[in-house]
Amino acid sequence: MGFELDLFVAASAEGAWTVAEVTRRARAVVEAGLPPLWVRGEVSGFKRWRSGHWYFALRDGTAQLRCVMFARDNLRLPTAPVDGMQVFVFGRPTVWEEKGEFRLTVLELLSTEGGGLWQLAFEKAKAALVRAGLLDPARKRRLPAYAQRIAVITSADAAALRDIVAVVARRWPLAELLVLPTRVQGEGAVAELCAAFRLLGRVRGLDVAIVGRGGGSKEDLGAFNNERVARAVAAAPVPVISAVGHETDVTLCDLVADFRASTPSAAAAAATPDREEVLDHVAHLGARLGRGVASRVDRGAQRLERTLDRLRGMMALRLERHRHQLASTSGRLDALSPLKILERGYSLARDARGRVLRRVTQFPAGLAFRLRVSDGEVSARVPES
Amino acid sequence: MAKEPTFAQQLERLEEIVRRLESQELDLDEALKLFEEGVEGLRVMRERLSSAEAIVKQVLRTEDLDQ
Repeated sequence: MGFELDLFVAASAEGAWTVAEVTRRARAVVEAGLPPLWVRGEVSGFKRWRSGHWYFALRDGTAQLRCVMFARDNLRLPTAPVDGMQVFVFGRPTVWEEKGEFRLTVLELLSTEGGGLWQLAFEKAKAALVRAGLLDPARKRRLPAYAQRIAVITSADAAALRDIVAVVARRWPLAELLVLPTRVQGEGAVAELCAAFRLLGRVRGLDVAIVGRGGGSKEDLGAFNNERVARAVAAAPVPVISAVGHETDVTLCDLVADFRASTPSAAAAAATPDREEVLDHVAHLGARLGRGVASRVDRGAQRLERTLDRLRGMMALRLERHRHQLASTSGRLDALSPLKILERGYSLARDARGRVLRRVTQFPAGLAFRLRVSDGEVSARVPES
Repeated sequence: MAKEPTFAQQLERLEEIVRRLESQELDLDEALKLFEEGVEGLRVMRERLSSAEAIVKQVLRTEDLDQ
């Protein structure tokens, strides 16, 4: 009834209201008459102000409603709606006095479609990662064959961490596990995950990193769908194995990682070789090493044998040559032999003492001497006178 | 301080030694030297493979990394 009285008073120029009075009254009327409510409509003219507040209108075929969603309320949403999107909003109808504008202060906003804003945020971030080339399969790095230092980024108390430690301890106890505990959901998770990935660059001798969620299956995977986290994974200095998503729910972190594992245990197995297999391989190499050197020594012995053979052959050849030389020398010697001369008809005279008689004066009358001819000796004597 | 080779490096070296020993062009001296190195490598690798427990270390601050 009070309103009616006021309106009556304002009916004459003397009782004119100020603008502020009217808008304040309008606001009171609207807020009293229209409690907070859900409205369905199409987003139009969306604008995000520097302050972080969102301004847009909701439309349907015949009317439109101005809306504001303040930063403190819209921060919870994964992304902003886009023009043309059908949404449900929950808000308080009011009048913005400074502009004399009827509007809705939006407290909650949902897309009418299945995945809603989360899906939209995912697609937007994914598109950005694709544009940056971060989802290119050629970017995927190979996992190390014999990791020695493995970083694990997950929440410290999670079942995921226990599983990873157990698998590494069984398969590859040579490895050192560096656990970088982070929150994986809720407030601060994005910042902590990014910081953990940045920290990897400072770990010396790191071979591979595993990122895992907390444990439960109904967890909020929002942080792993955050574009900043995805970019931090892509920028990691070593290959990253992601064991974050669920089978039906792949996260951006999974897409960017170098390897996606279905569970934390599978991630640990992908990061490590199996000790038994490596032992087999090493044993096999040991056997080949032994055979290799044995056959080398054997080859050496064979070569030595061959060398000796050649040496013997050479010696025989040389001996043969010497023998030949000796024969020819003795032939020449033979040719020089006086016996040869005797054969040609000469003879040699020697006195009883064996001296060779070369001159007539050596033959006095009556001298008995011996004459050597080719096949023997005969006695001879110089006549007496 | 000489940096200890990683397991992967040791394994790679052993594989190289075996390949060279199996190839033909080595003199005996060199072959024996390689063999000795290979046997030592085998010993170290077996030792490393028999280590009992994985080391788990929490890194909470950057100082934890400096070692």
